[in-house]
Amino acid sequence: MSLEELAFLVLALVAVATAVLALFVRELVHTILWIGVFFVDLAAIYFLIDAPFLGVLQLGVYAGAVTILLLFGIMVTRKRIFSREAITGIGALPTALAVAMFVFLALVVGEFPGSEQPVAAYSVTDLSRALFSTFGVYLLLLGLVMLGALAGAIYLVREGRE
Amino acid sequence: MSLVTTLLDFLPEILLLAGALLVFLVDALGLRRIEVVGSIAVVTILLALLFVFADLGFAPVAFLAAIPPGQIDVFPPAGSTPLYWFTSLGLFFQTFFLLAAFLVALASMSRPSRERGAAVFYGLILLATLGMMLVAVASDLIFLLIAIEVVSIPSYLLVAYTRRDTRSMEAAMKFFIVGALSTVLSFFGASFLYGAYGTTNLFVLASGSAIANGAAGGGGFPLLVVIGYSLLIAGLAFKITLVPFHAWAVDVYDGAPDDVSAFLAGGTKKIGLFAFFLVFLGPVLFAKVAFQWFGGIGPVSFGPVLQVLLSILAVVTMSVGNVLALMQKSMKRMLAYSSISQAGYMLIGVAIGTAPALTGASLQVFAHVFMKSGAFLVVAAAAGLGVGPLIADWRGLGQKRPWLSAAFALMLLSLAGMPLTVGFVSKFVLFSAAIEAQGYFVWLAVAGLLNSALSVFYYGRVLKVIYFDSPAAAPAVPAPEGASPAASGAAAGPDHTPTAPLALGGLGYARAATIAIVAIVIVVLGIYPGPLLQPLAAAAQHFIRLGL
Amino acid sequence: MTSLSIVGFVGLSTALLAISTFGILTRRNFILLLISIEIGMNAAILDFLYFAAFPTGSHYFDGLQGQSIAIVLIGLAATEVAVGLAIVLALNRLKGSINVAEASSLRE
Repeated sequence: MSLEELAFLVLALVAVATAVLALFVRELVHTILWIGVFFVDLAAIYFLIDAPFLGVLQLGVYAGAVTILLLFGIMVTRKRIFSREAITGIGALPTALAVAMFVFLALVVGEFPGSEQPVAAYSVTDLSRALFSTFGVYLLLLGLVMLGALAGAIYLVREGRE
Repeated sequence: MSLVTTLLDFLPEILLLAGALLVFLVDALGLRRIEVVGSIAVVTILLALLFVFADLGFAPVAFLAAIPPGQIDVFPPAGSTPLYWFTSLGLFFQTFFLLAAFLVALASMSRPSRERGAAVFYGLILLATLGMMLVAVASDLIFLLIAIEVVSIPSYLLVAYTRRDTRSMEAAMKFFIVGALSTVLSFFGASFLYGAYGTTNLFVLASGSAIANGAAGGGGFPLLVVIGYSLLIAGLAFKITLVPFHAWAVDVYDGAPDDVSAFLAGGTKKIGLFAFFLVFLGPVLFAKVAFQWFGGIGPVSFGPVLQVLLSILAVVTMSVGNVLALMQKSMKRMLAYSSISQAGYMLIGVAIGTAPALTGASLQVFAHVFMKSGAFLVVAAAAGLGVGPLIADWRGLGQKRPWLSAAFALMLLSLAGMPLTVGFVSKFVLFSAAIEAQGYFVWLAVAGLLNSALSVFYYGRVLKVIYFDSPAAAPAVPAPEGASPAASGAAAGPDHTPTAPLALGGLGYARAATIAIVAIVIVVLGIYPGPLLQPLAAAAQHFIRLGL
Repeated sequence: MTSLSIVGFVGLSTALLAISTFGILTRRNFILLLISIEIGMNAAILDFLYFAAFPTGSHYFDGLQGQSIAIVLIGLAATEVAVGLAIVLALNRLKGSINVAEASSLRE
C-alpha cells in the first residue's frame, strides 16, 4: 500500500465518520463543528487527487462561508445557542432505504479494475480557460440561479415595514 | 463563435432577464403598484413569445427571427459536443412555458394594487420562465440540471413570497427540502454518467452507448450507466411528480398562494417532462447498453428494461393520482392529485418513444398548461369572491356566477377528456399512438382510458356540487375582502391593504380576461386542432431523428 | 503525479450519498436537513472530481469539464444553503420554531 493510498484511506474514514457524527450528536453547535471538519477533510482529498484549486475553493466556500452561515442560522433561530436537540428515532424504513441504496450504488465498485491508476493533473490556467470559454455557459446559468436566490432571499428575510 | 452571435440566439431569454431586472429596478425606485410591475412582466412575456414564434418560422413574424432560417432542426456536426441545441420541439415547449407564465402574470394583475411583494412575485416569475426556456434548449446534462435549478430556486421562493402566511411558508420549506434532495440525486446520477462517458453531452449519452460497452477501447462500465440513469429517474421524477415521489406536490400546491399554484402546476412542472424527453428518449430508442447482472443473468439490454420501468411508473402514477383525487374534500388538493395523474399520461409518451407518442405527450403538456393553470386561476378567483377551500363550499356557484362556473366546468371537462375540448384531442393522439405501437403498450392505452373514465367521477362530482346542489343555508357568507387572509392565500394577500372592490363583481378585468382566453383556447383547439397538431408532429419527428 | 485506486473513491462517495439520503429522510431539524443536503452535494462534487482525475477511456473524455462542473456545483450548493436559510429565518419569525415535524398545518 502506497503512502497516497494510506492517506486516502484515513481521509475517507474521517469523512464518513464526521458525516455520521454531524447527524447524530445531540448538540447542534457540535454538529457544525463536525461538518466543518468534514469540509476540511474533503478539501484534503481534493489536494490528494491533484485538484488543488478545488481544494482551496472547498476551504473558502464550504469550510469558511457555509459553516459560518449555518452557525449564523443557529444563532438567530435560538434563544440559547447551546441547547440539546431531541433526536428523532432512527426509523427502520429510512435506514433500510439508505443501506439498500448504498449496496445498490456500491455494485458499481465491482466494475472497476483494482489496479492503480495515475491521476491526471490539470493546471489552473487550463481550468480557468475551460471554465470561462468552453463551459462558460455553466457559469452564466449559475449567475441566473444566484440572481433569483438573491432577490427572493433578501425579500424574504427583510423585516416588512407594515 | 463570438459572444454577440451566441447572445442573439438567446434573444427571448435575454428579454426575460431584462424584464426581471427592470421589475426589480422599478421596485427599488418605489413604483410598487401591481399594475406597473405586472404590465412590465406581461409585455416582456408577450415580446419573448413573439420572438419564439419568429424562430419557429411563423409567417407574419418570421422576419424577427434571431435564429436564421434553416438553423433550427439541423443536426450537430459529427463529433461536436454542444452544450445547447435549438430544436423546433424545444421551441414549441418554450411557447408552452411562456403561455403558462403569461396566463399567471396576466391574471395576477387583478390582485390588490398595493400588495406587498408584487415586484418580487413578477421578477421571480420572469426568472423561472427564463430557466424553463433554457431547459427546452439544453443538449448537455449539466446545462439541463443547472437550468432546472434556475427554475427551482425562484419557485421555492415564489411559494414563500407571502411572508406572513404560515401555511405557504411551510409549503415552501417542504418544497425546498424535496427539491434539494432531487437536485442531489440528479447531480450524483449525472456524475456517474460523466464517469462512464467522459462527457455529459446528451447526444453522446444517447447514441454513444457503445462506448460504455467498451467498444472504444475503454474497460466499459455498463453498471455505472445503469445506476446513473436510475438516480436520474429518481431525481427528475420528483420534479414531474411521479408516484413514489409525489407526496410533496399536494401539500405544496395546497399551501402555496393560489396564483403560484397555477404557475407550479401549469408551468414549472412541465420542465420535468422535457427533461425526461432529453435524457431518456435516447436510451429508450437506442438501447445499446447491455449489462450483466451479478447472478449471471443477461446480458440484458437496457432500453427495453427502461421502457418497462417507465411504463409501470406511468400507469402507477395515473392510477394512484386519480384514486386519491377521488377522495379529496379540498378543491386545491383535488386539483393537485389530478395534476399528478396527468403527469402519468404524459410519461406514456416517453415510455413508447415513437414520434406520434411524443406528439401526444407534447399536446398533453399544451392542453395541461391551459386546463390546469386555468383551473387554479378560477380557484384563486373564487377565493377572492369568498368561496371557501372545500369542494362543498362551491355549492350553487352555478346560479350565483354563471360565467365563471361555465368556464370552470369547461376546464374540468377538458381535464376529463370530453370530446370537443383540447383535452380530448391530446388524449386521443396519445392513446392512439400507444395502440399503434403494439405490444404491451396497448395496455398503457387501456390503463389510460380506464383512468380517464375514473377521473370523470370526481370532476363530475364537482360539477354536480356547482350546478345541482342548492346554495348552502348562508353559512355566514364571509366578507369578500380581508375576512380570511390566511385561508384565501394570495387572493386576499397577507400583507394586503383595503382596496376598492374589483371590477366585474370582484373578479377584476385581468383575471376575467385570462379565464376567457383559457376557455376560448380549450374550445377552439378542441374543435380545430390541425394548426397546432401538424407542426408539432413534424417537430416530434425531427426530435426523434436527432437522436437525443 | 500520484497514483491511486479508483475503487475507494466510488465507495466513499456512495457512502456519503447514503448518509445524506438517510439524514434528509429522518432528521427533523431544518439545520440538520441543510447539512444532509450539503453532504450529498459534496458527494456529487467528489464524484465529478475523481472521474476527471481517472479517465475511464472514452474518447470524448474531457477532464476539465469535470473540474468546471465541480466548481459550478460548489457555487450551486452554497446558493441552496442561502435560500434554505432565508426560508428558515422567515419561518422562525412566524412560528418560533425550525422543526419540520411541527410544521403540520398542511394536514387536513
